[in-house]
Amino acid sequence: MISRRTTFKAAAGVAAAATLGSQQALAADKVLRIGIDLSFTGADAESAARVAGGGVLAFEEANERHEVKGYSFEVVKLDDATATAGQYDPAQAATNARKFVSDKSFVAALGPQMSGAGKAMAPILSQGGLATITPSSTNPDITNPKFAAQYMPAGKAIYFRTVATDAYQGPNMANYMADTLKVKSIFVLDDSGAYGVGLADAFQAQAEKKGIKVMGRDRLDPKATDYAAILTKIKALGPDALYYGGVGQAGVKLFKQSYDIMPTMIKAGGDGIYGSDMLKGAGFPACEGWYATNAAPHVTEDPKTAKFSEAFHKRFNQFPEDYSATCYVGAQVIIAAVKQIVAAGKEPTRDAVRDAIGGINLKDSLIGPVAFDEYGDVKNKIISVFQIKQNKAKPLDDPDSQFKYIGIAPQA
Amino acid sequence: MTSGDLLLQQAINGLSLGSIYALLALGFTLVYGIMELINFSHFNVFMVGSMFAMLILQALGVVGQETVMSGVPLIAILVFTLAVTMLLCGALGVSIERFLLRPLRGIKGPAAMITTIGVSYVLFNLVLLTLGTDAKNFPNPLPPIVWQIGGATLRLREVLIWVIAILLMGGLTYFVQYTKIGRAMRATAQDPDAARMMGVEVDRVVMMSFFISSALAGASGMIFGLYYNLAKVDIGFAAGLRAFTAAVLGGIGNVPGAMIGGVIIGLVEAMSGQVVGTAWTDVVIFSLLVLVLVFRPAGLLGRLAPNKS
Repeated sequence: MISRRTTFKAAAGVAAAATLGSQQALAADKVLRIGIDLSFTGADAESAARVAGGGVLAFEEANERHEVKGYSFEVVKLDDATATAGQYDPAQAATNARKFVSDKSFVAALGPQMSGAGKAMAPILSQGGLATITPSSTNPDITNPKFAAQYMPAGKAIYFRTVATDAYQGPNMANYMADTLKVKSIFVLDDSGAYGVGLADAFQAQAEKKGIKVMGRDRLDPKATDYAAILTKIKALGPDALYYGGVGQAGVKLFKQSYDIMPTMIKAGGDGIYGSDMLKGAGFPACEGWYATNAAPHVTEDPKTAKFSEAFHKRFNQFPEDYSATCYVGAQVIIAAVKQIVAAGKEPTRDAVRDAIGGINLKDSLIGPVAFDEYGDVKNKIISVFQIKQNKAKPLDDPDSQFKYIGIAPQA
Repeated sequence: MTSGDLLLQQAINGLSLGSIYALLALGFTLVYGIMELINFSHFNVFMVGSMFAMLILQALGVVGQETVMSGVPLIAILVFTLAVTMLLCGALGVSIERFLLRPLRGIKGPAAMITTIGVSYVLFNLVLLTLGTDAKNFPNPLPPIVWQIGGATLRLREVLIWVIAILLMGGLTYFVQYTKIGRAMRATAQDPDAARMMGVEVDRVVMMSFFISSALAGASGMIFGLYYNLAKVDIGFAAGLRAFTAAVLGGIGNVPGAMIGGVIIGLVEAMSGQVVGTAWTDVVIFSLLVLVLVFRPAGLLGRLAPNKS
């Protein structure tokens, strides 16, 4: 799944950016079109606007500086959410992918935001040879060679990521818990969902490798209301920590009841418990102390990226989130790829851009060095660790101020 | 924690769950006993009850986990909220009966039951559209008083929900056994036609049974909120299904059966979480139900329903 960051400072604003590029382009420049597919309406709309801003900003800057001689970029945004779904809709995502693929002026794309949309788009993009860079979808299947027949039927990597996947969230957190939190024994829970089970499995395997004693594993029914029985059992077993792979539906109830039954135990989860729904539903003090991870570097508080935040704020009148930075870097990758092709005296066709992206190596970006493996995953996989610490001065349901950034979980 | 403590702790957990289920199961059983109707709208009357209780508490200034009260103000606020919630839910139940089910009275077949399913979804969607799908932070004004019994922990909130459940069940038993309308209800349950011939106003009895069962659902919704500090639009289905199972297990139509069934289901849920694993809880509960029904088709205490002949 995608991280469920909800955004707060979002005002309107990004909508105005829809038709940029062409005005600034020199008359002689050839226009290269870049598609951005995100969930611009529905449940994830606020986040989508901030994510898209990163990509838009990068292309605007490139056009202004005439980064690529003789070419300018034009961004075209498509929304993969529908009113009936209330959030992303795989069918709409597939339609958007077809639109991009059928128009030869598109040379690359950014997005999608959600893994469910990505699964629908990847086969179509693969057949059309159009590379996309996702700033936020973390489901490992799409770039897993095991499922290549399904998600890259044409054989070449087209689904690139500037985020890590769930296959790293769990294991890296296991390392962090073993090395930094000195956890010796643990109980692992999941919420029966595809994301939750996968995350918990990956966590558990690495925890065992690190010598953490796994005292048990159980599955929560997200529709059930009472977890007191299992939590009482865990309390009696007395592990050092509890790990939960899953999202908010079971998570909110788990937060509340685990606070009642074992308030002092170390408790942790993935990006499924990062967000305002946990803060609103479980509230303080039940939330206090939970660890959560995110599959991207935490850049919005990093002094090195202050310039980016400032430019972003100046342009869109709101602050970026972490996935704004991954989207910005995704755009930079596309720009660098085009630049490379043009410098070699070739035509930046769709195929050429795809191949160039695969070989790109950005030494220093907002999110550190960026290069991709043969399947499209970013090589430098960074998992950020957060802990919920009540900050009474700020809104109690604002994840940006209640989730305190701790650092990077060591790679498995 | 020794294994004895653990057993005690799970019994405490199970009894709390059982209290919620028992109050809900009573609602199924009362209506079934009198009308032979499985009232599926009960699921979401319960959910609406927990939302009512939350909104009332918030209107009274009790918000989230921050407002902690004690003594007389606490008791006053709880009694007031419980009373208003029960009245509102009772009124909701009566209007469902009066406007949606009474016109269908006398029609054979599953029309009335299907209607209750429809009503259930309407209530669900009304709450979904007005209050949203997110989990709500149910106000918790109870002071964090805790007793240690050996290694087991008993909280004030658990004692409170037991007390509320026992008082309501006691009140109901008294009402059904010793009041005039209670006697009329029992008479209608035994034989509606004979009761009518003896001068019982069957319409009034039916309305009363809907009022009581919905009021109990409201009470159950409120103690659910106090126990879990949570209100959410989808709590009705899971809790309602368990409670319905409890009613069938105890013998549907049978008031003491519903109470016993509720407590048994609560205890089984807690113990299976301990012994087998939470993922298996539904398997354990429904296997138990099947087993009981195989050997005692009418439930533990026997089924009571209108005499059809």
